[in-house]
Amino acid sequence: MSATKRNNDNPNQPRVNRNTRAGQSGSFGDLFKLHRRIAKVSAIRLLQTPASSLVTLFVFAVALLLPALLLSLNSNLASLLAGFQDSAQITLYLQDSVSEAEGQEVSDDLLTRNDIEGAYYVSPSQALDEFGASNGLEDLLIEMTANPLPGAIVLTPLDVSSSAADELARQLQELSQVDVVRVDSLWLQRLAAISNLVNAIGSVLAVIVIFGLFLVVGNTIKLAIENRKAEILVIKLIGGSDMYAARPFLYTGLLYGLGGGILATLLQGIVLATFNSNLEVLMRLYESDFQLRGFGLMSSQLIIVAGAVIGWTAALLASLRHIRAINP
Amino acid sequence: MIKFDNVSKRYADGQEALSNISFEVSHGEFAFITGHSGAGKSTLLKLILAMETPSSGQLIANGVNLNRVSTTQIARHRRQIGTVFQDHQLLHDRTVYDNVALPLEICGYQPNDAARRVRAALDKVGLLNKEKSFPEALSGGEQQRVGIARAVVNRPSIILADEPTGNLDPGLSAEVIRVFQQFQSVGVCLLVASHDAALIERLNCRKIVLEGGKLRADQKPRPKA
Ligand SMILES: Nc1ncnc2c1ncn2[C@@H]1O[C@H](COP(=O)(O)OP(=O)(O)O)[C@@H](O)[C@H]1O
Ligand SMILES: [Mg+2]
Repeated sequence: MSATKRNNDNPNQPRVNRNTRAGQSGSFGDLFKLHRRIAKVSAIRLLQTPASSLVTLFVFAVALLLPALLLSLNSNLASLLAGFQDSAQITLYLQDSVSEAEGQEVSDDLLTRNDIEGAYYVSPSQALDEFGASNGLEDLLIEMTANPLPGAIVLTPLDVSSSAADELARQLQELSQVDVVRVDSLWLQRLAAISNLVNAIGSVLAVIVIFGLFLVVGNTIKLAIENRKAEILVIKLIGGSDMYAARPFLYTGLLYGLGGGILATLLQGIVLATFNSNLEVLMRLYESDFQLRGFGLMSSQLIIVAGAVIGWTAALLASLRHIRAINP
Repeated sequence: MIKFDNVSKRYADGQEALSNISFEVSHGEFAFITGHSGAGKSTLLKLILAMETPSSGQLIANGVNLNRVSTTQIARHRRQIGTVFQDHQLLHDRTVYDNVALPLEICGYQPNDAARRVRAALDKVGLLNKEKSFPEALSGGEQQRVGIARAVVNRPSIILADEPTGNLDPGLSAEVIRVFQQFQSVGVCLLVASHDAALIERLNCRKIVLEGGKLRADQKPRPKA
């Protein structure tokens, strides 16, 4: 940190502190100590009003819990529906010129790809048989001299999301033996639609929750600032910036966010455990071993980080607004 | 350093607290603002501290045009000024030490460096033994001296004091004035509002006399014999 000259008109006053930089803390350790002290003061102030602090903390936790549960539901839904992926099929209709042996070979080749779960070849004659059998038109077909149906390969993609299936279909279209690619995407579409719906609900809910948390934290910070109005006034009178005066309140917001986030992950664990014990009975009846997975470690961290960011930002906006309004 | 150019201040309720004030105070000058109660002394100091803005005229202090300043500029401006408030403005949930350390903390001083300066400032006002007390436990005069220590701890370029000797006996008043004079001798500009006529008479200082918001007299110190 270099000495920045301020516009002081008389440089001949060595003892007078012309620029307040001299002797200021530059080291990271000092800064850390300072912030630890401010955080401690904020925490102590929260503990001085335990009841209202706890209410705010719970509101914060429950608000975070709602989208968290929805997200968890979504990921569970996705894994549940993934069980139906057999219905997600891509059919490759081959060129007329491709022989049965060649068609079989292409099909076997496709199995070596790591984005394809299964593939089998349907020769033109098999296709004709199936077509006849399913339509009761065997007699009619006997009359035909040439088989009008092409050979086909039916495959199951590994990733059943519609974007992945579309991408796979696009790649397979490039194969020279392939004439037409058809994605049997009814289930894919349903999956995508459900997933989109849950995501949309999640997004709307997240916006509402963030908005609500901003109001809650904003109001809490406003009250805290009103309680410390005299102190803020003095700080401003002796040259503390609004940001300086806001610092303890930013920690207040951060602590609410962190605490709320941690509480939310705990509550989520309880909720999912309750669901799971009920589900277990149900699933045993259906001979399924499906389980609600809740959130792994990453997602718990995500909730906590989201809480901290929301708490801090809401506190920043609220405190700067209210502190700016405090004037001698 | 401080320049009033035809400055008037009219409060929102229409009360004209200052009218057409013009004077200039420079580095190393020690000037008393004097006049009866309600003459506008506090208002004048508040203008310099940017607690109020002039209604008309131009006011420049420490190179800052106080007619138009941003919030950030105000904070930086105030960090260059040490102010002794008439009502002390101490923080009651902090010790004497922490109160005096506040301006240093705002400027981001290292704890060790700050401790040295805080002790030096408390020593100057004779309160070194009270550093762990809370303001509530101090007499009015002691609180006033804490305010004075806080005003000088950051070695400001301007010191403003509103009735700084109001609660002090003559001995302590003289002590406080000596502290101020030390700062004067290193080029600090001091403006002290006071109606302590006896004290002002004893000191050979510049005297700016206000009456009903108007500048009645601006008496320079007598040349030294
Ligand atoms: N905030 C205010 N609003 C309205 N009038 C005020 C305010 N502050 C001071 N005044 C009026 O301005 C005049 C000057 O006050 P002040 O500067 O405090 O005088 P002094 O410090 O010399 O006693 C007084 O008449 C007072 O009533
Ligand atoms: Mg006054």
